[in-house]
Amino acid sequence: MPAFKAPAPGFSVRFSPFHEQRLLAAASQHFGLVGNGHLLVLDLSAAAAPGGAPAPPPVFAFPTSDALFDCAWSESHESLCAAASGDGSVRLFDVALPPAQNPVRLLREHAREVHGLDWNPVRRDAFLSASWDDTLKLWSPDRPASVRTFRGHEYCVYAAAWSARHPDVFASASGDRTARVWDVREPAPTLVIPAHDHEVLSLDWDKYDPSILATGSVDKSIRVWDVRAPRAPLAQLAGHGYAVKRVKFSPHRQGMLMSCSYDMTVCMWDYRKEDALLARYGHHTEFVAGIDMSVLVEGLLASTGWDEMIYVWPFGSDPRAM
Amino acid sequence: MAMRHLITGQGNCAPDGASSSNPFGNLANAIFGQSSKAQSIKELPGSAVNVPTTSELGTAAPLSTIPGSENEFKQDQLPLARGADFIRGGPSHDWVESFRPPGLPEFAVPDAQLKEFEQIFNSTGPTFGPPVMDGPPQRVLSGVLRSFLASGQAGVPFQPVPVPALGLSESDKQCIRDRSCIMARHILADQPEEYIQAQVNTLLHSLDIDSNYRMKGPMHGPYPEMEEYWNQSQSAMRSGPMHNAADKWITEFGKQNNNPEEWAHSFEQQYGSNGWASEFEQHQSQMAMTGGMNMANLAAMEQSRMLAQTLASNNDPKFQVCRIPLNIEHSMEENSKFFQFVSKMSRGELIIEDNQVKQGSASQSSGWADEFQTQYNANANSWADQFVHEEMSQGADKWASEFSTEYNQGGLNENWIDEFSKMRVDDEWAEEFSGGTFGESSADPWVDEFQNQLSASKQNSGASRGVYVFSDMNPYVGHPNPMQEGQELFRKGLLSEAVLALEAEVLKNPDNAEGWRLLGVTHAENDDDQQAIAAMMRAQEADPTNLEVLLALGVSHTNELEQGEALRYLHRWLQNHPKYGGIAPPQPTDSPYGPDVIRLFNEAAQMSPEDADVHIVLGVLYNLSREYDKAIAAFKTALQLKPQDYSLWNKLGATQANSIQSADAILAYQQALDLKPNYVRAWANMGISYANQGLYEDSIRYYVRAVAMNPKADNAWQYLRISLSNASRADMIAACDSRNLDVLQKEFPL
Repeated sequence: MPAFKAPAPGFSVRFSPFHEQRLLAAASQHFGLVGNGHLLVLDLSAAAAPGGAPAPPPVFAFPTSDALFDCAWSESHESLCAAASGDGSVRLFDVALPPAQNPVRLLREHAREVHGLDWNPVRRDAFLSASWDDTLKLWSPDRPASVRTFRGHEYCVYAAAWSARHPDVFASASGDRTARVWDVREPAPTLVIPAHDHEVLSLDWDKYDPSILATGSVDKSIRVWDVRAPRAPLAQLAGHGYAVKRVKFSPHRQGMLMSCSYDMTVCMWDYRKEDALLARYGHHTEFVAGIDMSVLVEGLLASTGWDEMIYVWPFGSDPRAM
Repeated sequence: MAMRHLITGQGNCAPDGASSSNPFGNLANAIFGQSSKAQSIKELPGSAVNVPTTSELGTAAPLSTIPGSENEFKQDQLPLARGADFIRGGPSHDWVESFRPPGLPEFAVPDAQLKEFEQIFNSTGPTFGPPVMDGPPQRVLSGVLRSFLASGQAGVPFQPVPVPALGLSESDKQCIRDRSCIMARHILADQPEEYIQAQVNTLLHSLDIDSNYRMKGPMHGPYPEMEEYWNQSQSAMRSGPMHNAADKWITEFGKQNNNPEEWAHSFEQQYGSNGWASEFEQHQSQMAMTGGMNMANLAAMEQSRMLAQTLASNNDPKFQVCRIPLNIEHSMEENSKFFQFVSKMSRGELIIEDNQVKQGSASQSSGWADEFQTQYNANANSWADQFVHEEMSQGADKWASEFSTEYNQGGLNENWIDEFSKMRVDDEWAEEFSGGTFGESSADPWVDEFQNQLSASKQNSGASRGVYVFSDMNPYVGHPNPMQEGQELFRKGLLSEAVLALEAEVLKNPDNAEGWRLLGVTHAENDDDQQAIAAMMRAQEADPTNLEVLLALGVSHTNELEQGEALRYLHRWLQNHPKYGGIAPPQPTDSPYGPDVIRLFNEAAQMSPEDADVHIVLGVLYNLSREYDKAIAAFKTALQLKPQDYSLWNKLGATQANSIQSADAILAYQQALDLKPNYVRAWANMGISYANQGLYEDSIRYYVRAVAMNPKADNAWQYLRISLSNASRADMIAACDSRNLDVLQKEFPL
């Protein structure tokens, strides 16, 4: 299946919600510590098999002046996407336009690195940014300034995830070891879950059960929560050897989730099963920082890591298979 | 209009969700219910934002208001062919104007806000990022960071790797420091915090990053949270036994001081925003610049710089805020809001608001630094006495004297105040201050904190930049004609000797612009751009319109990744040029805009295409904007006009190396070396290009040649060491460390 070489360590990868052959990726020089970022759009149909001929260049490539930690496609416009930059800005790109006309919007409000983005899949006209300045911001692509700022976290906010069901509800993951659930109509978080004993790096909602949330932490575990009974986790998924960098629920199978870790592996889980671990992929040779599951093609997975590789493969197969 | 809107004030552009936290809004929500919101959109007649939706135009997407925005307008869905036009819709009041039928030119309607955005887009993005010119390769950095991360993964302590000065800008260093701290905790979660700290510090150290470095730029902005943090931290700290000296002291202090916030405020106020170190340095440099140039002043300048450096390099772990553990279970610090506060301070999030400082401390806040200066000159009362006195008069309860009594075993006895003031009289006070009394007592948290503050303010001020540092023991002082000697030495390529001779010259004739200029050129060729800039700035002072000097300053700042400064000098070059002065607006611009400057120089190049200098500047400018192809073309044009300019060949080579054309770069360096065989920088650059291609054995030979020609070329020694280890020639590393040229030259003949 397709594999691409990124120009720098990969940080995020996202399937287009409009085109099944399109993949958005964010990469950053020097592991994001310093240097440039790269936003790439890849055409999967043009990709080379690993070991075969070199992959063709990306459809769209845009270098940025600071590292990019995350990216997200617009849910409303097929060529629009957002990138989260280390300089605290969020940049909107129209990949149908030449690089000279990009970025189409520069949203410069966060005081620190922006580490997470999530586009609202229900409303489609709003997205969130999560920043190391301890805040989240709500944006609309047609506005030059943020719509709202969400304060409450006491340390870096690493990730945000909109509920797949409720258009106004989202959750955030922070280094203050909590996950918080917010309703954008409310000034303060609706729920604060002291989710882990270490920093919480990522979280996602189950797409089929709007009260189920999974969190991934530096403590190497993934915990699954029912926000109606948040006192104790529904499930704890152990298996990663290092911090869990991202978790993502399947858009097609209830209870199924994907995770990646600093242990250089990607794992597939079903939290409702006793043997929750479904698959483990060790195809990356460095930390895995970005994963995604295609909404348009069931079972199609993507991952990127600090080995500067981007892999796309169907669940059940070997990412490195010819 | 809906009742709810009357209450919540909707329909106005409420910034930042202000109205959603409006208690009336909440009340209204409670009374009218959330659902009324969506319906109310259509109940806003005549509102500018209540325009017909365009969903019939393009893709039909479920449209509704953004919750929390309290601003009812809808996203215009334009046909996809319109590209990103829709996104330029601007704020809501411009929405109607910005909606144009397809085919109308973009921006038919003048819109200040849009223009502003355009400018923002243009001025950022990829064009003006950190460039590297003549600088070391990015690969060096990447290699170091990689081994840092790998060491963490394997649980092996990260070996300190000496890395050459990488030309990282201050903001780059800040980035690395902050991000490596945060990321290291994610990666090394299993390791004890001390281990993580050690790893990060080793990395920072090997990248020549001061781990005490806090934040750049002036402190600004109100942060009322601080008070809260202080209150919480105070109560937290009284609550239990503390396990290190720092905590002990804080407890002690907390017990004795009834009004801790006040002390904190005044302390921060004084050292944070208005650090005496910077004041002092500025004062010193002013003295040196304005007053008659004499050796005593120069010595004082140098001493003040040394002092600042010593203070900045304090490595005592206790107060290095970036290492404060926030995430380790059950650690004392974790529960202390104080440490979180300090950590946040280090991230520049909590800043002291002037107005919050109580009256007593506000009145003395700026006075302290002045006081110090006055005393330095007049040697009147000791500042510390004064300080203690003022604290006591505030009711701070003699903490200072208690403190010194309590801790006099630690080398900080009651007399330190007097000693300090005495030391200031004689010329050795700086060394004593840093190495002697305070060095021993550095176990003392107050001093550490104090020193941290000093280094922070020093770095904030930037005052140490641009101060030329003279060498000790200059044999050329007293030489009958050091200028001639210096020129001769420079021609021979004996750069370090040339520096000494030229220093003697400018000490003798401080207004000799040519002397300063050549000194700057020598430093630049010797790979020391900081000193080059300092010397060039003196040259510029003596002769403000010297074109060569302005050009050299532009190039050196480019090498140091200081884009704004570089642009300023290059712009000034144009303004002062007899031929092109007409092109550039004569008024001084503080921050010329990169593309503008490039445009001006392109005009100049059209005016006189035979002027090599213009093409050289264009090459430098394109390096700044990292348009390497254009930079290479510009340098090549210049070389056709000036084929004998060895430094130009070197610039071409460096540019080619930066655009990953290492093979071409080697040809260019070879040209430079053919013209000037003793051009140390080109030899070293040649080595870098070979190393970049993975040809480490070859690179070693060139580095060895470079260090043989200038054994003081520290950067080249460090490159050499890296290449040796990459080439698996660990057997020669000892020779490299001991700088044994004979062995190295024998082993690696060129």
